Amino acid sequence: MLSKIVIQNYRTFRRFKLDFDPKMNILVGDNDAGKSTILEAISLALTGRLRGRLLAQDLSPYLFHKDAAAEYIAALQEGREARPPEIIIDLFLDSKTAPAELMGTNNLLKANEPGVRIRVALNPDYEPEYKEFIKDPTQVRLIPTEYYKVDWLAFSGNGITFRSIPATASLIDASNIHLQSGVDYYLNGIINSHLAADERVKLTRAYRSLRENFAADDSIVKINEKLRGAPSDVSDRELTLGIDVSQKSSWESSIVPHLDELPFQYVGKGEQSTLKILLALNKKVEDAHIVLVEEPENHLSFSNLGKLVKKISDKCDGKQVFITTHSSYVLNKLGLEKLVLLSETEGFRLDSLPADTQDYFRKLSGYDTLRLVLARRSILVEGPSDELIVQRAYKDVHGCLPIEDGVDVISVRGLAFRRFLDIASLTGNVVAVVRDNDGTEAAEVQRKYAAHTAFPNISVHVGQDKDYKTLEPQLLKANGLAVMNAILGENFASEADLLEHMEDRKTTCALTIFSSDQTITMPEYIRDAVA
Amino acid sequence: MQSHNNLAVIAAAGSRKTQHIIDCVVADPSKRVLVTTYTNENLHQIVNRLSAGTGVLPGHVTVMGWFTFLLNECARPYQSFVLGETGMMGGLNFVGQRSRYIPKSRPRQYYLDRSKSAYRDGVSAFSFEANRLSKGMVVDRLSRMYDHIYIDEIQDMAGYDLELLDLLMKSPIAVTVVGDPRQATFVTNNAAKNRQFKGSGIVEWLGKRTKLCHIENRVESYRCNQHICSFADDLYPDLARTISKNTEITGHDGVFDIRKSDVQDYVEKYAPVVLRWDKRADTCGLDAMNMGTSKGSTFDRVLIFPTKPMISFYQTRDFNQAGDRAKLYVAVTRAKYSATFVLP
Repeated sequence: MLSKIVIQNYRTFRRFKLDFDPKMNILVGDNDAGKSTILEAISLALTGRLRGRLLAQDLSPYLFHKDAAAEYIAALQEGREARPPEIIIDLFLDSKTAPAELMGTNNLLKANEPGVRIRVALNPDYEPEYKEFIKDPTQVRLIPTEYYKVDWLAFSGNGITFRSIPATASLIDASNIHLQSGVDYYLNGIINSHLAADERVKLTRAYRSLRENFAADDSIVKINEKLRGAPSDVSDRELTLGIDVSQKSSWESSIVPHLDELPFQYVGKGEQSTLKILLALNKKVEDAHIVLVEEPENHLSFSNLGKLVKKISDKCDGKQVFITTHSSYVLNKLGLEKLVLLSETEGFRLDSLPADTQDYFRKLSGYDTLRLVLARRSILVEGPSDELIVQRAYKDVHGCLPIEDGVDVISVRGLAFRRFLDIASLTGNVVAVVRDNDGTEAAEVQRKYAAHTAFPNISVHVGQDKDYKTLEPQLLKANGLAVMNAILGENFASEADLLEHMEDRKTTCALTIFSSDQTITMPEYIRDAVA
Repeated sequence: MQSHNNLAVIAAAGSRKTQHIIDCVVADPSKRVLVTTYTNENLHQIVNRLSAGTGVLPGHVTVMGWFTFLLNECARPYQSFVLGETGMMGGLNFVGQRSRYIPKSRPRQYYLDRSKSAYRDGVSAFSFEANRLSKGMVVDRLSRMYDHIYIDEIQDMAGYDLELLDLLMKSPIAVTVVGDPRQATFVTNNAAKNRQFKGSGIVEWLGKRTKLCHIENRVESYRCNQHICSFADDLYPDLARTISKNTEITGHDGVFDIRKSDVQDYVEKYAPVVLRWDKRADTCGLDAMNMGTSKGSTFDRVLIFPTKPMISFYQTRDFNQAGDRAKLYVAVTRAKYSATFVLP
């Protein structure tokens, strides 16, 4: 089991730390927040390889955090002493199960724990060449990775091999299907590791005998006889046809898995990625098995996603699963408490949410929890008409729709406000609740949210005056009969009649108000909420 | 107290002390075992015997050289406690010496050379320091890795090696050390610490730890005949006399001398293994092995090209005149049947 990761100068992370859940980790964040980078870093530390290739062969200046690189180059050009930046990925293992050989304090935290690390640093053997190179700082535009080396070490400080790591990892990137001459090497790799050693041998042997039989086929024999007799213009030796039976053409290069008789690459993309994920989850290994899944929702319809997510949550027993996702459905189903929200320096989790709130979202998994989690600022409202009015109010103040500012207006039903505020009190995102007083004094209503409004990022806005129970009377009160008639293009004689009209056609009226070009006075509590 | 899981076997040459380690290790595959010793020669012997010649060791056994052990398993994992930084220590600087003017308060210069390799003389002191400053993390890590540590040729250990050994004996790890104080031909380091216990002094060091460690003396030699044993014993009159268990008679048994002019005939007749001090010795053109390197080996017969002090000892049997008596002891006791000196 992996217990945590600490990253320095790798891609989006200057300095990053994240504790892992022993079973399920759902990584969520904006685009470019580094979700995939974390999966990549885990896989890199466990295998020493980046996308199947040794990191040393794929080392590039662009793997370094851009600020670290920029500071280094700026320092050189200003003639200051500059240490070439190092990439470090420290992957901590569970100290109860990991072998003590991997223990030591050679990690960024200087903690006495077992773990493995990737360190990309200046190779001391090239120090003289490097010093020569930086003598003219103007030619240094990128980090000179050609003078770097990659170390794959345990926290003991000693080098490690693939075998000394007590965990295996499968990285499943469903959005990418790697095809080379019609064969998905990646998929075949998964299948290969899924087979037992003797099954693998049998497969290889069967494949070889198939190729050998080819040469024994009557028609091939005849062709070869003919070729033998051919005039020897090219060479004095005999020319015949045969299939390459050497080791390099192994079964992976020409055997293609079939689904219902259909070659794998002709199967729908959704099915392909589902199959890959399930193969990886089914793998039986003695060591701890780490499954890294990138955006399982890719290529899948909603109902198929449901099936896959169910299977993932059933099969991840005894495995440690890391999933990146943009889908609230995946998140709610697998458990909101497993969510890890990424920031630049750390991952932030929701496992301290009250149990009933976790349960609530798991049952109502259609809820857009991710919107709340990801939006820097959101406004929670009671229904579609409130949503439209609040958007209009926001536009009146800020000159653009809230979504254009990254502010999300979310319509929340019934008592769920409190559930959402539970999340907001953990994330620290700015959340304003806009709600009706429903015939109770505003102060009374607000008192119910006292526990949440104690957080500086949470505010609750309730219409004043209990005689104006909901949005429509509040709007009418703020604008008066004449203005409201004009906005709605109506001509009611009394406020009571207009109110009845508005309450019968809530959404239509709200839409008219939303798109009206007249000036509208918003009730005070809404103005406060959008300010 | 974990006082009785430690054992020291003090044994004469040819008493099968290395075999004792092999037997114990193989006997219980449930124990995670480390076997370590100083010389590469002996290390190969141990790997060979444990793997029955295949080079593939049983899963529960780790065999590594003493310096590999010190560097990889003691010093490097907890280097930050001594150096203040992680991932700094490189390899081993076996020949270099630190400048005498660098104080211990500058650990990076004191322990490491310019390319960050650790000076040989400082590695065990470094390990001891790392354990002290980390409040026992080094020993704790080892005790999670190994149930039993065997150290062969304990007489080679010196300086802070002994301090570490003391810590290991006090830990939950069972420690078995075997050695022969008479065969102290090498020394792991030249530190001033524990100088008085260097080489044959190991018996005295162990003698002070009888509560920590059971001491077993083995005076039987299964290799050398009684003539050879008695001759070799004269080099160390203070230690117990050796009893030979090799009673085989070949017709040319014991300690002899020949003239240089007779060497060719003698070699043709008895085919002995030729031993020399080092490559500068004149061995009449014969292929030869250095005496120090021959430690741990068994031969039917040896032909020794002695140094001047060795000749004096051969003639007087006075150990004070023998020079490096450990090497002479090793050279003579390689032989099962005959050890012959070439006199000028």
